[in-house]
This record gives sequence, C-alpha cells and structure tokens, in this order.
Amino acid sequence: MGLVLENLPGLVERFPGGSVAITRLDETINLARSNSLWPLMFGTKCCAIEMLMATGASHHDLARFGAEVARASVRQADLMVIAGAIVKKMAPRMRLLYEQMAEPRYVIATGSCAISGGPFMYNSYTVVRGTDEIIPVDVYVPGCPPRPEAFFWGLLTLQRMIREGETIREPGVRRKPVMSALPDGVSLQEIRREILAALVEENVVDVAKASATKPWARKVREWIQKNTSR
Amino acid sequence: MDSEKHLTLVESLYPTVQRRTQSDRPAITVECDRLLELMQTLRDHAGLRFDLLLTHTAVDYPDENRFELLYLLYSTVHGTRILVATNLERSRPVAPSVCGIWPIAEWQEREAYDLMGILYDEHPDLRRIFLEDDWEGFPLRKDYQDSYMLELPK
Ligand code: SF4
Repeated sequence: MGLVLENLPGLVERFPGGSVAITRLDETINLARSNSLWPLMFGTKCCAIEMLMATGASHHDLARFGAEVARASVRQADLMVIAGAIVKKMAPRMRLLYEQMAEPRYVIATGSCAISGGPFMYNSYTVVRGTDEIIPVDVYVPGCPPRPEAFFWGLLTLQRMIREGETIREPGVRRKPVMSALPDGVSLQEIRREILAALVEENVVDVAKASATKPWARKVREWIQKNTSR
Repeated sequence: MDSEKHLTLVESLYPTVQRRTQSDRPAITVECDRLLELMQTLRDHAGLRFDLLLTHTAVDYPDENRFELLYLLYSTVHGTRILVATNLERSRPVAPSVCGIWPIAEWQEREAYDLMGILYDEHPDLRRIFLEDDWEGFPLRKDYQDSYMLELPK
C-alpha cells in the first residue's frame, strides 16, 4: 500500500444504515493504477544503483508511493524504468520486454544516458542515442545520475499523468511525454518535511471535502437533493 | 623485495627480456616469438610460480604502428605481481595463445580479438564475445569508423 497523497473525488451521502459513495469509475481506476505501479527489475548501468537499489531500500523507500513490488517478469510489471545506457545489442531485447509488458504500460527514462546517450553520444560505437528511438517514453528524469528524490519527482509526475487520463473512454491513448526535472533548490530536507506534513494532514481521507471542488459533483448533489426532497 | 628477486631471476633466464622503467609495478617486455616460452617458465619455475593470469588486454599505438599486448600475472605462492608486455606489428596482429598455460586466457583473448582484432594462434574457439557475430571491424582500434557513430563537433 502506498501513500495516497490525494483523495478520491466523489460524494458521500449518508443514509440510515450506511452511506453511498458516488464517484466516477475513471477516477477510481486511475487512483488505483497510479498508486500500485509495479516496476520491472531492469537496470543497465550506474543509474540502476540509484534508481532501483537506493530508492528501493529503506532510506528512501519506494514503497511510500506504492511502487515497490519490483517484478522479475515483464508479464507482471507495468512500469519500466530505463536506468542507464542502452547498447545496440540490448535494444532489440528491450523492445521485446516492452512489447510483453501488461497494458497499460508506462516508461520512465532516467539519466542522460537513457534520454540522449549522455556522455556516450559522440564517438561511441555502440550506445543508442536515446531510448525513445526504440520505445515510447512517458517521463524523462534528467541527471547523471538523478538523485532518488528526482526519481520520486518523476514518479509523482507519472502518477499525475495517469490520474488525468481517460481510462474508460480512451483506454489506449498516451499522453505527450514530459521532462520532469526537480525544481531548483529542492533539498532532501524540504521533501521530507512536505511528506511528513502530508502524512499528518492526509491521515484522514475526507471524500466529501474533496468532491466539493468538482463541478460534476455539484450536479450530482443537486440531482440527489431534487430527487430526495420529493 | 621479492619482485626484485623475481625480475633478476627472469633476466638471468632470458637475457633478451627488457625491464620497463616507466612502470608502477614490476614489468618486462619480451619479443613476441619468445612469449610462449617465457610464460611457461613464469608459471612453472619453482622460484616464480605465476599461476594466475589476472588480466590480459591490448593497447593500440597507431603512430608507432604497433599493438601492445599486456599480461598481468600474479603468484599465489609468493604473493607478487608482474606485468609482461609484448609488441605486435599493426599490419599483422598475430600472437601466440596462452590458453594452454592459463585456461582463463580463452575468454580474455576472445575479448581482445573482439574489440582490438588481435588474432591468436592455436586458440581453441576464437569468436566474438561481446559484440554481435556479424559486427564489422574492431571498435577499440583508434581508426575505427562506422556509419552510426557521431563525430564530436570541434
Ligand atoms: S546517466 Fe550517468 S549515472 Fe546514469 S547511467 Fe548514464 S553515466 Fe551512469
């Protein structure tokens, strides 16, 4: 279970003997999907130490975001973190792994090697100049290597992208890829403080409060009021 | 020092061997046709016993028209190291294989063949080890070019 940083927008109506929650199916599916990403155990270079090992360990702890179930089989994974350079020999294998991943599948490219070839862009006989030549990438996380916090920032960006998607009506549509650089001057202490504050504040999920901001929820409420006052 | 003793011993056995002065470890240079004989002695002589081939690699010197082969040996009996170097002509990079002396050399020589194009006489299985079998050229040579490679703009 990850740390769910936002509420499920919806409406809770109290009835004698229980409550009824009204929300969109899309929101529910997206919320579940974005908070239970299963990454693939796949690392090709030094970035993998930072991305999959440092973040997976207890100090930084990927589990806070619900993405700690690293799988050794592509068929059980839906997030591919490309950590490190991809060489020509690896490229067809990576494409095969991507094709076999369960839909919907997401790709985060971390580090300059995975984004553009990085230090191996020039005069290299084997490094592919950017993984997006082979598979589509959703989020780029720049750095050499990016810090674990930067990777988390990228992961949060991906979660946001998933949450904004239309799962039912447009299931296969990918959003445009984004570059997700950690804003300047964000320190580890600051992130810790924010997460702590979020933990304290969001301990209690107040669904009714969150739904108040959604225009469609207002319509539902009006409809219910009209129908129950009769 | 043990390694000093070893160097003197090698020099007395093989007078043509040259000691390398600019080296951070005991190192000798030998002509290519005496390499195999020297290696056998280095491993089997009771006073030397270099029974472990730590690494083998090649260096390209296009300006001097030569490849340099390097063998780093370690003696688990005496606890000393020695670096053996030999030179090959760039146009004809054929060296004797030391697989018969240290079996681990088989893969190390395949690597040197794969990336540098050194050919080893009597190697049991001289194939590429890292690159695809149909790769053309030897990428760690200084004059390697291919159509995918980008030149660094000046
Ligand atoms: S971006 Fe830097 S740290 Fe990451 S794989 Fe490339 S060289 Fe290594």
